[in-house]
Amino acid sequence: MPLDTNTAPLLNLRGIGKTYGRTEALSDVDLHVNQNEVLGLLGDNGAGKSTLIKILSGVVDRTTGDIEADGTPTDIRNRQDSAKLGIETIYQDIALVGPMSIWRNMYLARELCNRFGFLRRREMRDTTVDILRKGVEITGVDDPEAEVGGLSGGQMQAVAIARAVHFRSKILLLDEPTSALSVRETENVLKYMVDLREEGVSSVFVTHNLYHAFQVCDRFVVMAHGRKIADVTKADTTIEELTKLIVAH
Amino acid sequence: MTDTHIPAQQPETSGNKLGTIWSAFRRDPAANIVIILVLVQAACIIGGLLYPDDFRYLSGLNMKTLLRAIPQIGFIAVGVAILMIAGEFDLSVGATFTLAGLTMAAFYAAGVPVVFCVMAALAIGVAIGLVNGFLTLTFAIPSFIVTLGTMMILRGVILYASGTATMPFRPEPWFDSLLTGQIGFLQAQFLWFLGFVIAAWLLLSWHRIGNHVLSVGGNRGAANAIGVNVFKTKMFAFGAAGFMAAMSGIVSTTRVNSVSPIQGQGLELQAIAACVIGGIALTGGRGSALGVFAGATLIYTVQNVLLLIGAPGYYLDAFIGLVLVAAVIANGVMNRRG
Ligand SMILES: Nc1ncnc2c1ncn2[C@@H]1O[C@H](COP(=O)(O)OP(=O)(O)OP(=O)(O)O)[C@@H](O)[C@H]1O
Ligand SMILES: [Mg+2]
Repeated sequence: MPLDTNTAPLLNLRGIGKTYGRTEALSDVDLHVNQNEVLGLLGDNGAGKSTLIKILSGVVDRTTGDIEADGTPTDIRNRQDSAKLGIETIYQDIALVGPMSIWRNMYLARELCNRFGFLRRREMRDTTVDILRKGVEITGVDDPEAEVGGLSGGQMQAVAIARAVHFRSKILLLDEPTSALSVRETENVLKYMVDLREEGVSSVFVTHNLYHAFQVCDRFVVMAHGRKIADVTKADTTIEELTKLIVAH
Repeated sequence: MTDTHIPAQQPETSGNKLGTIWSAFRRDPAANIVIILVLVQAACIIGGLLYPDDFRYLSGLNMKTLLRAIPQIGFIAVGVAILMIAGEFDLSVGATFTLAGLTMAAFYAAGVPVVFCVMAALAIGVAIGLVNGFLTLTFAIPSFIVTLGTMMILRGVILYASGTATMPFRPEPWFDSLLTGQIGFLQAQFLWFLGFVIAAWLLLSWHRIGNHVLSVGGNRGAANAIGVNVFKTKMFAFGAAGFMAAMSGIVSTTRVNSVSPIQGQGLELQAIAACVIGGIALTGGRGSALGVFAGATLIYTVQNVLLLIGAPGYYLDAFIGLVLVAAVIANGVMNRRG
């Protein structure tokens, strides 16, 4: 058994279902994330991609299904659970607190404190400057005290990405992370996923841009109407085939 | 003309400590109101110096009255502010104020040592806050409605328990001086108020819990998605509001040596007014301890000035209303610009 855990997928989901009142957002979805892989999660609007991502990060409670991590049964019911599994998420709706400064957003729920819970503000501010400089190289953001609510959509997205990348540990979930980014920044993010894979961090990449997906993903899962309709490796498919799959359903 | 140069927008010159402090101050949501407060105080002081006989602002008696009045609303406002910043309201703080005072007085009358009476009163305050929070969060009802309900229930309980009679409270002298004694030209309760303002400042600006309070009020969904425990954080804020309301009830009861069931009525709205004047956002997520101090102080300074120039009592509320609306407009205009 111990030998098995080396090859077991990082995450293995079986029979995942989610209903919102009468809407069935997900039904009976199996999904696994391997070590050292970039997984593309594709599908039309409303296919259930974000719901699946949110279940993995513990923000949405699944209705049915089981989850295994490294071959052992586990549970994800809140953000604390997913953090323990090393999951970091860039949400489609960005998830930043508008009236707070960039550094406070960067370290929210992971504050650097002394043992009485008082913030090590200078340290967090300085590191935030570093993160912003190195990370996605966000243009026009250099003041860590600036309020997030006053940033442009792309700058906000860049802050959310920088945060997730900085705190990544095992699995990075990216839900349409580049929708508001410039071409250069988008390329940076794509390159990140590949670099991180070399470091041993797997990614789940949700996108509507099949060219981007094909550029970085090792495997594709296609969803339609809350179900998984395809699970293919890059070697076994083409952009044309993926396009047909998505459009046909 | 709209091209005003606010120092905060200029690049900070590194090493210039004063500049850094100034730009930090300009970032504080209470900056505008603090400036207004300073101007009002300056005007009052100048007026008091120029016309010491007609405008007795600086007289010992008036200073005493003013410094005594501010903490009553100030204590409550500190708690309400933390709760408002967390994105919730508490309309039951006035009733909690009264119930805490009554509890303390009743226990004391029954022979319980005063320290335990105080602890019982504070415990009741916290318990009311936690019940408000639990109902609000568990059943996803707006706290405005929940606490409107608890306010009415508590008012009923108070009248049932004590009728309309005033209950005396004459504690040992040491207790009296600890909470309300005279220290130089200040009273103990004003120092307590300053202490709580500083505690709130440490909490909101320097502590992890305060960071979480700001986040759940600023964007609850995002805070949750990032990993903040929204339930715990909001429960803390509700508890703080109840605690501070009880604290105010305890101090006021000690000061006047009695508690009457109708005391504390209207304090809930005055506290919210003080907070809003102090730049604390009605929508949550924005506000500072400095703002509470400025808001509470400004309300009572305006009342005080009106009394000094002989305005009839029924004008007072109208003027608070005026200050409130003016402050909201001023803060709104400044925020849009800055
Ligand atoms: N909070 C919610 N309440 C009710 N229904 C919801 C909720 N969130 C999602 N849904 C429904 O679940 C289904 C899947 O939504 P989801 O956001 O997962 O789609 P998606 O694949 O991410 O789409 P997109 O590409 O547009 O982001 C949709 O029919 C949506 O209306
Ligand atoms: Mg989506």
